[in-house]
Amino acid sequence: MSRIVVVTSGKGGVGKTTTSAAFATGLAMRGYKTAVIDFDVGLRNLDLIMGCERRVVYDFVNVINNEASLNQALIRDKHVENLHILPASQTRDKDALTPEGVGRVMDDLHELGFDFIVCDSPAGIERGAHMAMYYADDAIVVTNPEVSSVRDSDRILGLLQSKTHRAERGESVREHLLITRYSPARVQAGEMLAMEDILEILAVPLIGVIPESQSVLQASNSGAPVILDKVSDAGQAYDDFVRRFLGETVPHRFLEVEKKGFFKKLFG
Amino acid sequence: MSGELVEIKGEMTLLSVLRLASANLETIQEKLQNKRDSLPQLFDNSPLLVDCSPLGEACLTLDMLGLREMLLTLGFIPVGIRNIAEECVEKAMQAGWSVLRAGRATGAPSRLGRSVEPEMVAIEPKVTASTATSVKVVDRPLRSGQQVYFPEGSLVILQHTSAGSEILAGGSVHVYGSLRGRVLAGIGGDTSARIFCQKLEAELVSIAGHYRLLDDMDTNLKGSPAMVWLDGEKLKITPMF
Ligand SMILES: Nc1ncnc2c1ncn2[C@@H]1O[C@H](COP(=O)(O)OP(=O)(O)OP(=O)(O)O)[C@@H](O)[C@H]1O
Ligand SMILES: [Mg+2]
Repeated sequence: MSRIVVVTSGKGGVGKTTTSAAFATGLAMRGYKTAVIDFDVGLRNLDLIMGCERRVVYDFVNVINNEASLNQALIRDKHVENLHILPASQTRDKDALTPEGVGRVMDDLHELGFDFIVCDSPAGIERGAHMAMYYADDAIVVTNPEVSSVRDSDRILGLLQSKTHRAERGESVREHLLITRYSPARVQAGEMLAMEDILEILAVPLIGVIPESQSVLQASNSGAPVILDKVSDAGQAYDDFVRRFLGETVPHRFLEVEKKGFFKKLFG
Repeated sequence: MSGELVEIKGEMTLLSVLRLASANLETIQEKLQNKRDSLPQLFDNSPLLVDCSPLGEACLTLDMLGLREMLLTLGFIPVGIRNIAEECVEKAMQAGWSVLRAGRATGAPSRLGRSVEPEMVAIEPKVTASTATSVKVVDRPLRSGQQVYFPEGSLVILQHTSAGSEILAGGSVHVYGSLRGRVLAGIGGDTSARIFCQKLEAELVSIAGHYRLLDDMDTNLKGSPAMVWLDGEKLKITPMF
């Protein structure tokens, strides 16, 4: 079976799409046939981050409504092999996503031999978020180091264990916590929650900590997922996260305030 | 030891149930306001359960968000809603309600104590202190927005409960992780029910309707293992041993 992974958070703007793009790219770079689906009906974003917005012809809702075949709608990624993007619809109403329709697309992707299906969830706890998590085997819960984000992630964790196909069958969705936009300096200054506090509140296994980084904005402006930027801290942190997801033991990095060298102190 | 004992006064004695016979928020508010003005001590900050069974079809037109906000403005703490049409469940949850599953006790508001009926203004505390016997074990963390409702007996939560979660049990409640949400034990009036936890960080604790917000309480047991119990009319928080 294809392994279905939802990237979800509850709160908006915490880095779900950034993470979905990096994660799917990282899996594909390691040879896994991967599809990444944008569930954010009406607010399509993933195609921009992946740099394929000009090649969108058909979308997820077209496929669900049988207006296009899955093969017609899947966009081949231009950066790495084995990676395909299924963009969200711009205009359709949110009720277009149904459990049956989404289930059929998942089955078809499985038939096409995909190893991983990454579902980029919209914010909130409404239909779109529910549909994105419904068939998931694993969930990457994206949290920023602030109280409201942690609270929303907690709600999402509750929904994952009650409102998913797995939960309905008495199984559970594997939970992984990914802390993004982590700024050790701001944690030290007491402006943000520390990693330990977040873990204490959520009690979910930590799969990665992505630092707050300029490189993320640069990457999204150039339409290339940040994981491709091998020198950036965020790119490296995302790469570590993918390796941990695939079972490797990789120590966490970028958790401490960087000690500035003499030149850095002088020139920033 | 006795120096650490904290005495807490219970202001409310039972969990009130508001039985809605109209979906018109203005009507409800007016009735409740009258009620509150005549008996303010009964309603101030009191947890309230809304029962929609008399509403029937009209439930579909009920403004869930508006209702919740109105109750909060009136000084209630809306703890849950029950007997709503299946079609309304999602709407209710989105409005922040904990939806109680249709179960044994639904439709029998007297089990939970006093019932407030805005159409008929009489409030009659029908208390049946039940000796609840069975035990339910919850092996997952109780997350924000989740609720366990177990009027039949005691609840054992093996992991933590989050801020924004709710536990309602007929008997005692045992939490083997941090207790951060709201917890109401003895909801059928059992004054011998107790709350036990490994780490007390609850928002609200209640036994047989005697409730307190933890923030209002002067206890040095926050963050420590603790037990909440009723000593006569007094809610006490003490170390377990
Ligand atoms: N590690 C990071 N460092 C700096 N900026 C980041 C980081 N991660 C994400 N961002 C920025 O945060 C913003 C939101 O990111 P993104 O679109 O991935 O979030 P989202 O959770 O998908 O949002 P939505 O809920 O709207 O779908 C973007 O501007 C992105 O560049
Ligand atoms: Mg997004």
